[in-house]
Amino acid sequence: MTDATSTQFAPQGKQVLVWDIWVRLFHWSLVVSISTAAVTGFVLGAPWIKLHIVSGLLAMALVAARIVWGFLGPTHARFRDFLRPPAAILSHLTGGDTGRHLGHNPAGGLMMLGLMAVVGLLAITGLTGLGGVLRTGPLLSLPYGIGEAGLELHEVLAALLLVMILAHVAAAIFESRRSRENLVRSMVTGTKERRPGDHRGRKVISHPRIALTVIALLAGLTVQVWQRDTGVPERAPVAVLDEIFAEECTACHLAYHPSLLSGAEWQVIMANLDDHFIEDARLDDETNARITEWLIAHDASTAQTRPAHLFANERESPTGSIAETQAWSDLHESLAEETFQHAPVYSKSNCSACHADAETGWFSPFQIKIPKETSK
Amino acid sequence: MKYLLVLPFALLASPAVAQSTSPADLLAQYSAEAGAEASAERGKELFMANHTGGKPDTPSCTTCHTADPKAAGQARTGKPIEPLAPSANPERFTDLKFVEKWFGRNCNSVLGRDCTAAEKADVLAWLASL
Ligand code: HEC
Ligand code: HEC
Ligand code: HEC
Repeated sequence: MTDATSTQFAPQGKQVLVWDIWVRLFHWSLVVSISTAAVTGFVLGAPWIKLHIVSGLLAMALVAARIVWGFLGPTHARFRDFLRPPAAILSHLTGGDTGRHLGHNPAGGLMMLGLMAVVGLLAITGLTGLGGVLRTGPLLSLPYGIGEAGLELHEVLAALLLVMILAHVAAAIFESRRSRENLVRSMVTGTKERRPGDHRGRKVISHPRIALTVIALLAGLTVQVWQRDTGVPERAPVAVLDEIFAEECTACHLAYHPSLLSGAEWQVIMANLDDHFIEDARLDDETNARITEWLIAHDASTAQTRPAHLFANERESPTGSIAETQAWSDLHESLAEETFQHAPVYSKSNCSACHADAETGWFSPFQIKIPKETSK
Repeated sequence: MKYLLVLPFALLASPAVAQSTSPADLLAQYSAEAGAEASAERGKELFMANHTGGKPDTPSCTTCHTADPKAAGQARTGKPIEPLAPSANPERFTDLKFVEKWFGRNCNSVLGRDCTAAEKADVLAWLASL
């Protein structure tokens, strides 16, 4: 690193612009979008999924724009300025690298690359889960297993990102102390004090118009790809309810969609209607046979939805209860037991009180809203 | 040939349309079956009382229909039930098959047995008098 770093011509203590306005805007917008994604994802859960997805996609878009700027931006915005060969990073970390870096130092540069890569992977795995498990977005044709694996990886990556952010913040504080300057303020004002012996990097000019064009093209392409795979996904839960089922099985509760249970569970329910959850729901044989046949023909094995996969796990002795499955308890563990007793919910089985799309079998997290408690 | 195509639909449709009735006709029918005059007084008693023969969660007709049959009731799942009294809900006691199905289920849940024709006549006489 024998680049032209001599600063003898520069007046001492002069503030020079290091972080251009776009780098700073990127940085702080990323802070906001990642914080939003983290809070909605780790703390708030399913009812906030829309904001989670929007903030995650925003982070991805910011990173994509930053990558473009890494090739076309001014001196310290460029990858060339801060991505160093491993030997240089090692030398920096072991103290063999004298002189201060006006831009990112070699270790900081590696962290930038890592943060951007993990945000990108989070977006990809998130979209994989959105496609395979929730069956929406550009990847809705993916198999369920891949979607599930995507979500698991998404969680691991999210935890990793948190650890990396902590390390990044710690390093910024440590470096500020070490070099007696406020690096956080620099990321706000964009300026740093120039000192003798600084590594100032190779000066290049930026190409904002070309960058803007490339970013606009990328955005257009993304919209195209996004709209390619839409419509009703394959193996959607049956959309039209059987007439007789809808008439006979909704007198006492909502229509539980056939895709919520396995055929074996439905068989148990239909064979025991005279003692149906401590109630008598007897039907004549003909009607019973027709409804049973329809339920089994559209049971959980026919649908690729999250509830179909979660609730259909064969119980050793089927009971027909959805709300008594382990999967159901796990999904609702964040809710207080009383929530289910108050008006207007009254019962765990009253799915449609909170899930607007319950009777479609989808149970999309976009459709969850816990009603306000009412008197009565 | 055409009627062969229509036949299955006619068979399917029949349970829904057929057997329409009215509270008065039905009352006459149950009373005739019982061979006795219906009593609104006894009907009210049966409806309001707590019984022990049925399922423990549903000791009374009022568990779901409330003590005021002109008001809406509520199933145990939170789903509302329309009022039972014909004066508040003209659809009531207009479909024999429907009435029989629910007397069958509800009497079994509350009393642990089927209601007799006399009991059905009593309850109906009381509900129709409201
Ligand atoms: C007479 C009233 C009545 C009728 C008619 C009825 N059910 Fe139910 N059903 C209930 C009650 C009560 C529960 C228990 C709800 C609770 O625990 O809050 C229940 C629960 C269920 C459950 C389990 C829900 C859960 O939360 O796990 C399923 C599935 C179900 N019923 C299916 C059916 C089907 C299919 C039919 C039509 C053949 C039917 N029911 C007709 C009263 C009825
Ligand atoms: C009191 C309101 C309430 C009732 C009643 C209720 N749920 Fe939920 N359900 C929720 C909430 C809230 C969540 C999201 C929990 C979380 O992850 O934060 C949820 C999550 C779910 C999910 C996962 C959605 C996803 O993909 O993230 C499924 C599936 C589900 N519920 C099924 C059911 C079924 C089936 C019933 C009826 C037997 C039911 N729920 C009754 C409130 C309710
Ligand atoms: C477990 C709750 C429950 C109990 C207890 C109950 N009912 Fe019902 N009843 C219902 C439901 C649900 C319906 C049908 C829903 C509807 O018609 O809106 C119904 C319908 C009826 C009907 C049909 C009326 C018509 O033609 O529309 C009659 C008659 C009736 N009930 C009488 C009784 C009597 C008498 C008792 C007491 C022996 C009783 N019920 C107890 C829930 C109950």
